[in-house]
Amino acid sequence: MERRTDLRKNLFYYSIFIPAFAVIIFLTIYPVFSVLYMSFFKYKYLFDIKVFIGFKNFVRIIKDSLFQTSLFNTLIFSAVATIAEVTLGLFLALLFYGRFPGKRVFLIMAVFPMMISTMVVCAVWRTLYHFDFGLLNYILKTSGLKSVGWLINPNIALFSIILVDIWQWTPFAFIIIQAGLNSISKEIFEAASIDGAGYFNTLISITLPILSKQILLVFLLRTIDTFRIFSKVYALTQGGPGNSTETVSYYIYRQGFTYFNLGRATTASIYVLLVISVISVFYIRNIMREEA
Amino acid sequence: MAKIAMERKSIIFWILLFIVLLLVLFPIYWIVITSLKIPLENISPIPTFFPKKPTLGNYMNVFEGGFFRYLSNSLIVASSSTLISLTLSFLASYALVRHRFPLKLNYIFLIWILIVKILPPIVLAIPLYTLFTSARLINRLLGLIIVYQVYTLPYCLWMQYGFIRTIPIEYEQAAEIDGASKTQVLTRIVLPLSASGLVATAIFSIIVAWDEFLFALLFIRDPSLLTLPLRIVNFITEHETLWGELMGIGLLATLPVLLFSGYVYKRLTLSFSMGLK
Repeated sequence: MERRTDLRKNLFYYSIFIPAFAVIIFLTIYPVFSVLYMSFFKYKYLFDIKVFIGFKNFVRIIKDSLFQTSLFNTLIFSAVATIAEVTLGLFLALLFYGRFPGKRVFLIMAVFPMMISTMVVCAVWRTLYHFDFGLLNYILKTSGLKSVGWLINPNIALFSIILVDIWQWTPFAFIIIQAGLNSISKEIFEAASIDGAGYFNTLISITLPILSKQILLVFLLRTIDTFRIFSKVYALTQGGPGNSTETVSYYIYRQGFTYFNLGRATTASIYVLLVISVISVFYIRNIMREEA
Repeated sequence: MAKIAMERKSIIFWILLFIVLLLVLFPIYWIVITSLKIPLENISPIPTFFPKKPTLGNYMNVFEGGFFRYLSNSLIVASSSTLISLTLSFLASYALVRHRFPLKLNYIFLIWILIVKILPPIVLAIPLYTLFTSARLINRLLGLIIVYQVYTLPYCLWMQYGFIRTIPIEYEQAAEIDGASKTQVLTRIVLPLSASGLVATAIFSIIVAWDEFLFALLFIRDPSLLTLPLRIVNFITEHETLWGELMGIGLLATLPVLLFSGYVYKRLTLSFSMGLK
């Protein structure tokens, strides 16, 4: 009798778990293995070529200067955007600390950028960045400066996209760090103040260490998200001018869906997976420590 | 105290706050006024900070250009994919919380979910494209609804798992002693207790699906099936400087999500103030 109800319970748990499990296998585990498999082939979809070539793709891709550029651009993008967003987020959290009239309304306003659809964000920045009719160049010109080719100068375009990301996602860093800051008890600051600690002393020796959990988490989340950057590149520059804003996601997209060079695209994906697995180790360790 | 908290806000504080809000809000203001300007004014060499002749003409064009079709595509895809993810994740999370599957499956599954959340979606795109082509799901909203599970399901699973874990088991045990079946426990006890968690999960999931671009770009060819982000991108590339209409679509596409911003702010603050989620 006892065993029978156990069996029925087991059956119940399996039957409610399996649908989600199946979807995850079907949509994520299968594709990852499939990508791994394809990366060992010279696989050109359009010409119907599919030849096993072992690790040759891996050597070719790592030597491909376009892939190198795209990896370099992605690392720059990810590092600069993340560091800027975390720093500015921290600055905003400190600015908003304490009470002042209108705080709640200002807070919600400060969150607006991350609530706007990425494509809309790109659209408005495209108008602001426009070389001839854009507001930014108008301001520069009326200040007696030269117009900047925000999206058409190969040395600047990547940073223009970074700026858009910073505008959109600093609020995210801000909210999380702010939440951490508000959970610090006020007595700690009072004690520090009585001990005669100055603002920056308190900041460095008390506030930042207590906030380190939140800061690390934002750092990881933004690194992960900026590393996959695709839609902003697509909407703002399409990887150009030249290849100056080509990122790894965009590289894979073009190899796979413009040139139908599936061997190359999947091999590049494997390299991305390798980089990601390094990031995940940190991320998962961080999350699991919290869960435990 | 006064030093770190700046309880008595100085004039410098207000100046800094003003600059911050200016930087944050100006592009949004620009979206609004650009959408109200006539096309010629938008490409005048001297930008105006307020429309000379405010017009709703752009919006009329947007509505006539099939906006409601794109809106309904986006609504269908975002709500259906969220509904599916919510159901699957609620059931699976309950099983993961209350049952220990063999081979450390609980642990492995949750770790994999985290990895999927980290994965750049383009990595999965090629096999999924081939798979969906052979299943005849390309160029159909249903295909998009299914493929969006890549984003929404891990998201919902992770959030639901967190919520359901906080439900005390005693209620369920009491009900079982009273002779309730497992299904009854799930629908009559766990489900009502998870209501607020489900709402929170649904809102975040809808936002994710609403904003999705990559798979929409890859999977949808038919102009009548475009979702809003896709429509906006096409608009950028087709009509380089019809900014009024572009901003009109953009603003309309954003409004539904912007309404959630107060809630999202509260939710994020809650989940990040104590532990990390």
